[in-house]
Amino acid sequence: MIFGLFDNDYDDGGFRTCNVTGMDIHRTVENHVKVFGLTAVVALIVGGFFALTVAMTRWELVGLLDADAFYIHLSLHAWNLLIFWMVFMEIAILYVGGPMVLGRRLPLTKAAKAGWGTMVTGALVINYAIWTTSPPDQAPLLTSYAPMPSSPYFYAGAIIFLVGAVVAALPFFVALWQEKKWGSGGSLPLVTFGAFATAIIAVEALVGGLAVFIYALLWRVEIIDSIDAALYRQVFWIVGHGTQQINLVAMVTVWYFLTHVVGGAEVVSEKVSRTAFVLYVFFINMGAAHHLLSDPVVSTGWRIWNASYAFYGATLASLIHAFAIPAGIEAGRRRRGKGGGLFGWLTNAPWKNPVFSATIFSIILFGFVGGITGVVMGQLQLNMTWVRTMATVGHFHGTVVLGTTVAFMGLVYFIIRTMFMRELAFGRLASAQPYLYAGTMGVATLMLMYIGLLYSVPRRIHTVVRDIPGSDFSLTAAEPLMIIFGIFALLAIVSGALFLLVALASLLIGERRVPADIVPDGGVDFESDEPVHKFEMRGTFVITLIFMGVFVLAYIANWYLLSQLWSIGP
Amino acid sequence: MGSPIKPPDKEDWWNVPVDRRESIWLGLSVVWAMILFGWMSVWTRVGDQNPIGETYRVSTDEFQEKVETYIDEADEVDGGIVPPDENVYIAGMTFQWRGLPVVLETGKTYKFRMSSYDIQHGFSIRPEEVLSQHTNLLVLPGYEWVIEMEFDEPGTYHVICNEFCGVGHSSMHGRIEVRDEVNV
Repeated sequence: MIFGLFDNDYDDGGFRTCNVTGMDIHRTVENHVKVFGLTAVVALIVGGFFALTVAMTRWELVGLLDADAFYIHLSLHAWNLLIFWMVFMEIAILYVGGPMVLGRRLPLTKAAKAGWGTMVTGALVINYAIWTTSPPDQAPLLTSYAPMPSSPYFYAGAIIFLVGAVVAALPFFVALWQEKKWGSGGSLPLVTFGAFATAIIAVEALVGGLAVFIYALLWRVEIIDSIDAALYRQVFWIVGHGTQQINLVAMVTVWYFLTHVVGGAEVVSEKVSRTAFVLYVFFINMGAAHHLLSDPVVSTGWRIWNASYAFYGATLASLIHAFAIPAGIEAGRRRRGKGGGLFGWLTNAPWKNPVFSATIFSIILFGFVGGITGVVMGQLQLNMTWVRTMATVGHFHGTVVLGTTVAFMGLVYFIIRTMFMRELAFGRLASAQPYLYAGTMGVATLMLMYIGLLYSVPRRIHTVVRDIPGSDFSLTAAEPLMIIFGIFALLAIVSGALFLLVALASLLIGERRVPADIVPDGGVDFESDEPVHKFEMRGTFVITLIFMGVFVLAYIANWYLLSQLWSIGP
Repeated sequence: MGSPIKPPDKEDWWNVPVDRRESIWLGLSVVWAMILFGWMSVWTRVGDQNPIGETYRVSTDEFQEKVETYIDEADEVDGGIVPPDENVYIAGMTFQWRGLPVVLETGKTYKFRMSSYDIQHGFSIRPEEVLSQHTNLLVLPGYEWVIEMEFDEPGTYHVICNEFCGVGHSSMHGRIEVRDEVNV
């Protein structure tokens, strides 16, 4: 049955034409996308399990785990979701955005397989190393901040995984090189361009990661005798936040792709959207400097330069996409005769299709929750009130969960429909799943932010709301919000499990059928004499103005909170 | 047609006009990014809360000696030690804050000299009565960070470690008592 998942009807050359996207898909690309996608889902299952134990420990009313186990579970939650689920998906996205969109076969399939095998090995070693943590080693969490030691196998596993990811990315670069050498000679499609930007940022991040984990491993096995805590932090965040930038750019690429293939969106300005991707390439990795904003050692000038000039180059890029993507949906749908009023293009969209709804929720929630808070906490001074509190945890659940994970869930549904050719099991439940997950996870995320900002509850801690061992003081005032958080975290985990249930049941027992029903109104290749940029984008304009209003209000509120503090600094 | 999965349909796609509303949005975005930068920069000059201060390289032994000398010289009152001058030494170590509890005066500018004896710690401080007024700074071994602070409200300020430093991390708590007047 497993092999039944890899047997679409290809012609003699190994190609088939997708009835939804119109793309010519080669067997080699499709099968590798499936393998990387399925592996990502396995990581999601593992990491999702630990979401349950972590949340039910932080909710101290339940207090599931003791301290020893908690930090191990938290580390496994972080690595499996933030790294393995994301990076396996992203390699799949590179193969979709590169060779699949370009209608080429996957070059260097042996490298793809070797990369996959190496990544899986690295992931297994890391899981083993974390699970068997014992003194003097401590659970690494995501960061493994030296000089706190982690298992040497942990650093080794990280190195193996990163090497694997670089190797797995090679076929993508080769496909682009082949396209430039033998292809039509014109500009690359926007999705390929976005994937290219993702890949450049990825390689920068992964090389930084190799540097930091090799440094730490050499110190841990006592080849070098000391490690500089500040240098470790600075180099670590090249990969620590760099991987999150990969998630962001890959997600934006997926937004362009999925809104087009299931929503009928079109590119309203190639110039503007491509410029935004170029801004990411130049600036977004500098944004990682915001992790050092409330640190000693690095100079004020360094912090301001990287977290402002450079970072706002990337912020500007995101603001551009924030308009361009909904505008693409609006103009594309109006052109297909699906307009009507200010928001008719949106209300009559295919909301029952979970691929579409997941994509839209990802766009909205990433922008309003993850994006705004990221820029706010990336300000030099505001950072002091966010960093290392639960609010930070709220921020990155706004980005990588509400944003990236929700988009990737949509993409997995899309892959199941169009590549595995399976109907989604439990039809109504499948339609409802993105609503349930985005809604419950959205509330849980907001609670994390309030708990951190309003009650100063730290992250990465076993108990502190109900009990600080050895002290009368505790942060019990946060308890009511903790209860709301706990309940919604549970609901979100159940909704996440529903995703796995639908996805796996579809693969195993779903009816095999050509996905005719998710083609956008008028077809993907809708022809019209009217150029797309001539269509009204007033609905989008209103939405983005509301977004800007919320942004400004959140900004002012945070500065007000900061200004209430005693005097700090010169 | 503007498909993102096909090459742009016009060779000269760079010269296709940008929609008026999109142009307005671009302008707004650029202005907003400049405000974001400008305000942050202005606040370093006129604002009262900036995570800015000198850092010095220091070995653990050197810093330990400084802290112990400081504690020896400090007076002790009910509630903690009283620093002999404007310097307040605080060292993070698993799982306590050396130098705390300390008793400080309102309206007086102190130089917090912070480092760690072992690994990273998070210096997270808030007044007992208003938990939303909190701030979070990092303490690193090998570096002494000097940050000025001046408290305007008396009360008990609680310090929690908010960077994971080992299994006993959640017990790492210290106090700063701020009083209008400290009589030694």
